[in-house]
Amino acid sequence: MIRKPIYSLFISLLILSSCQDWLDLRPPDGLVQDEYWKTKEDVRATLMGAYQQLAQMDELLFQYGEVRADMIERDDNTPNFIRDIMDGNIYPDNELCDWSGFYKTINFCNFVLHYNPLIYEMDPTYSEIQKQGIEAEALFLRSLSYFYLVRIFKDVPFATEPTISDSVNVYLPATKDVEILAAIKVDLNKAKEIVSDDYGSLENNLGRANKNAINALLADICLWNFEYEECITYIEEIENSLVNLVPSSQWYSIFYPGNTIEGIFEVEFNESLDQGNNLYNITYTQDNYTASQTAVELLSRETAKEITRGEGSYRPTDFKIWKYCGSSNDAQSVRPSSERSSGNWIIYRYAEILLMKAEALSQLGEYDQAIEYLNRIRARAIMELKSAPDNNQAFEDLILEERAKELAFEGKRWFDLLRMGRRNNFARKDKLISIIVQNVPSNKRLVLVSKLSNPLGWYLPVSDAELERNKELDQNPYYAGY
Amino acid sequence: MNRTHNIKNKIGRIVRGAAKGLVLLLILFSMQNVLNAQTKKTIRGSIIEKSSGEPVIGATVVEYDKNKRIISGTVTDVNGNFQISVTDPNTALVASCIGYETMRVDLNGRSTLELQLESGAVDIEEVVITAVSSNDPLTNVAERDITGSRVKVDMLNSQIMGGVSAEEALQGQVSGLDIISSSGDPGSGSQIVIRGLGSLGNAKPLIVVDGISMDIRINDDFDFGGADQEDIGDLVNIAPQDIKSIEVLKDAASSAVWGSKGADGVLLIETFRGRRGKTTLDYQGKYSLNIQPPPIPMLSGDEFIMLQLEEHHNAYGAYQVPPEIAYDPDFQDFYNYNANTDWIGAITQPGFVNDQYLKISGGGEKTRYFTSLNYQTNSGTTLNTPFSRISTRINLDYNISEKLKFSVNFSYTNSFKEGNYSLRGKNVRSMAYVKAPNMSIYEYDQFGNPTGDFFNPINSYQGDGISYFNPVAIASLSSNDVTQNTVVNSFLLDYNILPWLRFRETVSFQYLNEKANAFLPYNAVGTDWLNNFKNQASETNSVDTKITTRSQLFIIPRLGKKHNFSTILMYETDQRTQDWSTLNSSKSPSFDVYDPASNAVIRNIRSGSGDFRALGGLVSINYKYRDRYITAFNLRADGSSKFGANRRWGIFPSASIGWRFSEETFFNSIKGLSDGKLRLSYGQTGREPGNPYDRHAIYNTTNPSQYIDNPVIIPQQVQLDNLKWQTLSSWNLGLDLSFFKDALTFTGEVYRKITRDLLWPKYEIPSSSGFDNLSWLNGGELENRGWELYVMGRPITRDEFSVNLSFNISQNINTFLEFPDNFNNEVATTIGNGQYPRRASIGEPIGSFYGFRYLGVWPSNESVVATNADGTPILDVNGDKVPLSYMGTYNFQGGDAKYEDLNHDGVIDLNDVVYLGDSNPALFGGFGGGVNWKDFSMNFQFLYRTGYQIVNEVAMDTEGMLDKNNQSKAVLHRWRVEGQDEEDMLPRAYLGHPANNLGSDRYVENGDFIRLNNLSFRYRMDRNLVKKLGLNSMDIALTMRKLLTFTRYSGQDPEIPQDSSDPFWFGTDQARTPTPKFYTLSFSIGF
Repeated sequence: MIRKPIYSLFISLLILSSCQDWLDLRPPDGLVQDEYWKTKEDVRATLMGAYQQLAQMDELLFQYGEVRADMIERDDNTPNFIRDIMDGNIYPDNELCDWSGFYKTINFCNFVLHYNPLIYEMDPTYSEIQKQGIEAEALFLRSLSYFYLVRIFKDVPFATEPTISDSVNVYLPATKDVEILAAIKVDLNKAKEIVSDDYGSLENNLGRANKNAINALLADICLWNFEYEECITYIEEIENSLVNLVPSSQWYSIFYPGNTIEGIFEVEFNESLDQGNNLYNITYTQDNYTASQTAVELLSRETAKEITRGEGSYRPTDFKIWKYCGSSNDAQSVRPSSERSSGNWIIYRYAEILLMKAEALSQLGEYDQAIEYLNRIRARAIMELKSAPDNNQAFEDLILEERAKELAFEGKRWFDLLRMGRRNNFARKDKLISIIVQNVPSNKRLVLVSKLSNPLGWYLPVSDAELERNKELDQNPYYAGY
Repeated sequence: MNRTHNIKNKIGRIVRGAAKGLVLLLILFSMQNVLNAQTKKTIRGSIIEKSSGEPVIGATVVEYDKNKRIISGTVTDVNGNFQISVTDPNTALVASCIGYETMRVDLNGRSTLELQLESGAVDIEEVVITAVSSNDPLTNVAERDITGSRVKVDMLNSQIMGGVSAEEALQGQVSGLDIISSSGDPGSGSQIVIRGLGSLGNAKPLIVVDGISMDIRINDDFDFGGADQEDIGDLVNIAPQDIKSIEVLKDAASSAVWGSKGADGVLLIETFRGRRGKTTLDYQGKYSLNIQPPPIPMLSGDEFIMLQLEEHHNAYGAYQVPPEIAYDPDFQDFYNYNANTDWIGAITQPGFVNDQYLKISGGGEKTRYFTSLNYQTNSGTTLNTPFSRISTRINLDYNISEKLKFSVNFSYTNSFKEGNYSLRGKNVRSMAYVKAPNMSIYEYDQFGNPTGDFFNPINSYQGDGISYFNPVAIASLSSNDVTQNTVVNSFLLDYNILPWLRFRETVSFQYLNEKANAFLPYNAVGTDWLNNFKNQASETNSVDTKITTRSQLFIIPRLGKKHNFSTILMYETDQRTQDWSTLNSSKSPSFDVYDPASNAVIRNIRSGSGDFRALGGLVSINYKYRDRYITAFNLRADGSSKFGANRRWGIFPSASIGWRFSEETFFNSIKGLSDGKLRLSYGQTGREPGNPYDRHAIYNTTNPSQYIDNPVIIPQQVQLDNLKWQTLSSWNLGLDLSFFKDALTFTGEVYRKITRDLLWPKYEIPSSSGFDNLSWLNGGELENRGWELYVMGRPITRDEFSVNLSFNISQNINTFLEFPDNFNNEVATTIGNGQYPRRASIGEPIGSFYGFRYLGVWPSNESVVATNADGTPILDVNGDKVPLSYMGTYNFQGGDAKYEDLNHDGVIDLNDVVYLGDSNPALFGGFGGGVNWKDFSMNFQFLYRTGYQIVNEVAMDTEGMLDKNNQSKAVLHRWRVEGQDEEDMLPRAYLGHPANNLGSDRYVENGDFIRLNNLSFRYRMDRNLVKKLGLNSMDIALTMRKLLTFTRYSGQDPEIPQDSSDPFWFGTDQARTPTPKFYTLSFSIGF
């Protein structure tokens, strides 16, 4: 009798010994971290997550590039936070100050860069070339995201390690913009050497990192840093590639159906694959924005109306932005319903590269050469060729105007203006300020003009939520008073 | 392929887990010797009472074999005679009856017996079940010797189970237990708090029914505040009449033995079991009327139009008045926008409850049973919200032998609840409050003829037809039905191996199936044909299963009269599985087709599943010397699958000592003191995070699941390497005194609880990490301190007339001692209409709130002048008076709200924010009593809370006058013309005013209240009269719940819930409807 309880105790002990396994449960849907990172396909799938995260930001990239500039105007359904930005009422609680989308992309890239060498050791089918190609793509996407962040917020946290677990320090202070730019230039130069030159399809070749895209980004960074010679070297590499301008008659095909010979890096959308953009909605169905008076004037300054770019950019009847909803530059036929939100968001195309070169050359005083590049764009747009202005400032204005017309509503204008305002130790900041305050009601302009003489006001504030969560961060001093 | 494999795996795991528990069970069964049948002999006899010689009717006579196994049994007849067949002429017979001492006789070959039973107070049931069931189900400590802090509320016994009585209500009965109802709005949230908020997130006490912890999904709309026996019955899905007692465990030393699930307190619920004796059959019928008292008076259509015109005019000037509020008989919708609709009245109805209950119980020596059947229908107080529930229960006890007992509890509940669709976070009732009263319920054409349809414009003056739907149309046409099936089945085996050693195995299965169907037909809401809300349908199915096993070994050596010693070893397993799937569709071809799978546009199909497992071990040692010195020591180990391997196990000790000083000789001199006990306890418990897989960085696809043609997989959350148990340490000092043979009892307690490594749910981290939050973060310390006092007296205890009274009072102070690193203690530092800046500070209780000081209304534009500290106007460089402004962007004008410019800088901004109050009650508790006179009885129960402030958010919403929602009649007294300066007038109406409704003391009020929670009268029909009718008993009772509230608070209900999920919480009253009143008439018959 006495043995029996001892016997059952013994059984209990047996059960206890297997407890540890019995308690180790893993989710049935989805993989956990130490099960996930095993093969090259896993690395690639997360890299694609980074692209897709960028693709989800199309509306934001439009807003960052346009709303503080002069090419668009508010419409009936402009969101309130955008109206506040346009009115110069920029407070840290504005939605546009939320930078989380960029950091999601960055974090996915960091995951890829962290695990890529480990997987290379584990997966025997993973070739050196493949591994390097993946690394190059992650470096490119991360650099592109930081380039946006630096241009929008100036000094930002510079995360280069993934948030693998709660042991990672996520409370990063801001790093100086110049340091970030220097670091990403190093990364990009490395990526350029190892990036893949063919992904097997046109969409992939243009929708993923490629040598031209990396050179274009490097050129853009150099232009932002006013490093003109270096900028030209990168552009020359692009010129030596197969990329070319599309003919005048097919100019609108850059936007619809997209992926033309002119493309360098386009964020790909395809509604039939359930990858639709938001651009169609914000520019067409929702009445969020219309082409501004400035845009309309620019595109009809020289002739009554630019034939190619005019109606290809906006619809004259209601000033709707046409690049993301039309099917040709007649400003009449809307895209077929199955492809409405299939239009790509173009980050770089060859026309911009040529204008970048014109800008770099003109800043170096090579006016004759510079005007040639500018005129190539004008010729394609079937516009009268220009002769070179005789001074730096006039040339700068000429290029700015041409960029505004060629790249209207492509999320470029605000950064172009900012580059101009910063150039030569803020020599032309008054012009930038006068453009910013155009949107503002007249009674508020004076106050805003004096405020904006501080160039820090050209950047957005760090959002409230982010400052509350991260005590290592300081607010942009321009907004610190709020 | 993979899927089926998973399912097989899962089934395998469940079976294996269950098998582990069952192995022990089977081994024990196999120990039993099987007996061979033998020849039988008949014994005849009679039983009389020793003192009077009267025959004892209904006594049981049983034969045991040498293994103490029951072989046969019988019951004495009206003359006290019995006849029984025995297998062995030398066997022993045991005779027993309720109210008599049990007697054991050896037959020694006799064939006739005359037994004399002595009457005694010993409950035979306790002898047979060896006092297990009435003790703590885990530690087996008798109630009298408990040294922790716990309170038991016994429900009325089965014979007098009349209507719901005051004694049955838990609220206000137990000190330290704060149950709060938020409002009378059906579907409004509320909660139960035992001794303050000890953790963040959904801190909910563990509910244990008959020793089985229930895996109960407590809906957010469960009204714990009004929770009494009825509601708790609903909660655990059993008939309230089945509940025998509810016990609240308050300190960690008491709840520690229940492990991590009991970290927020434990409610032990016991149901009735069968008693030996004649079969009894009881019936109860209950009819209840629930009435929603009149809500806040809202504006009529005409008053609303006037208000909107003013709002419009003040904001935009005198142009472009929308046609809906402009008196224009040519407007085609003129008749649709010029009604006076009482939306709340239109969706409210009196609620009728019909409750039928039948129970049968009884049993003999071997088997006892209790079975019940309950059917309830409730029509609901909102249009089309009926509810019905059927529940059954069987509690079976079987004595295989004197040593071995087997029990089975089985309960099944089916409930069906119809509801209304909620759209964009607004349900029918909340919409009825904001919906424009000038709109008509039914549509009229432009000539004023009704069209027969509901009036559902795609856009109205207030907004689109989905955000501002027609509540009557939604209530009448939409459906939102939930069906639940719950099965709880538990087996218990109790084996007395040796006199000092007992083993018990408990295995329980719970199964909950829920199916929810919702349908929104297009004619119920104003949308265009392309909208997803058109003929929207959804179906959700979920299945929860839970298997628990518990093995207990009780070692109770007999060490003489002076020493009582017991040790319990326990081992528990717990595993749960949940599977769910949901299907959403829209644009089904017709509003008659409401199955989401029928040719509609499928919007999404989702499914999920999860497993959770836990193990627990307990060593419990209890020692008592001379019935004076009581000590208990428990050590519990908990392992949970929610933690990583390195932090999986938590060890939680607890200890308590008690001194029954009344037993000491030197206390004998105190006259009247019948019992006195001093208790001190300390214990730790652990708490685990909510969801089973939160610690993993789950990698999954997103939507869209591809970039170009490349698949996408990304990490969805941050892996938690540092997730660990939250520990709660609690000290408790208690004193129990009992005077004059329990005629006056007193319990006082002081406690201190500290929660360490607080689990913060969804802890926000910088978005520069690429993530928004950590699912959990351990950090910080929270303290709860308090005291409780409970006094109960029975001043009159005569047979025909008795009175009892009770009173309790508690205080709890809740303070943060430490925050996690990098914690931000200020959120929402922006201010605006309807917002209170929120702060949390070390050393301050949760629930403090801050805001502006409201000084009234600026009577005119000239009056708006910023002043210096000495009251002189602030002048600008030109010498002009500077007007007071809001944030430097808006200059106040006549009719605007006036706030105090504390720092006299001419600007109302964050610097003018001050401390406004604290939402934690200083004192709370209840008092009540009962009077019994002959066949009548009356009971009452009050509850009260005092010393706290409330933000009257309802007033904020209904008196702001800056949007297009309907407002309360209070706004009729508002500023209208320049120079108007009246006492207590409200600011002007102004559509979208930036600062007229800032968070200020305008809406802060004291919440003190006393409520008559329960009042009941019962009449019990005279026994002789009942007997003539051939019945056993008959009761009629009238119960009124939440009848009266005494308060100075101007809102609807000063009882506000606490939100422990948020360190920035403060008390806001969002109840637009006062607590409903319940009137219940019930009668019960016993056969």
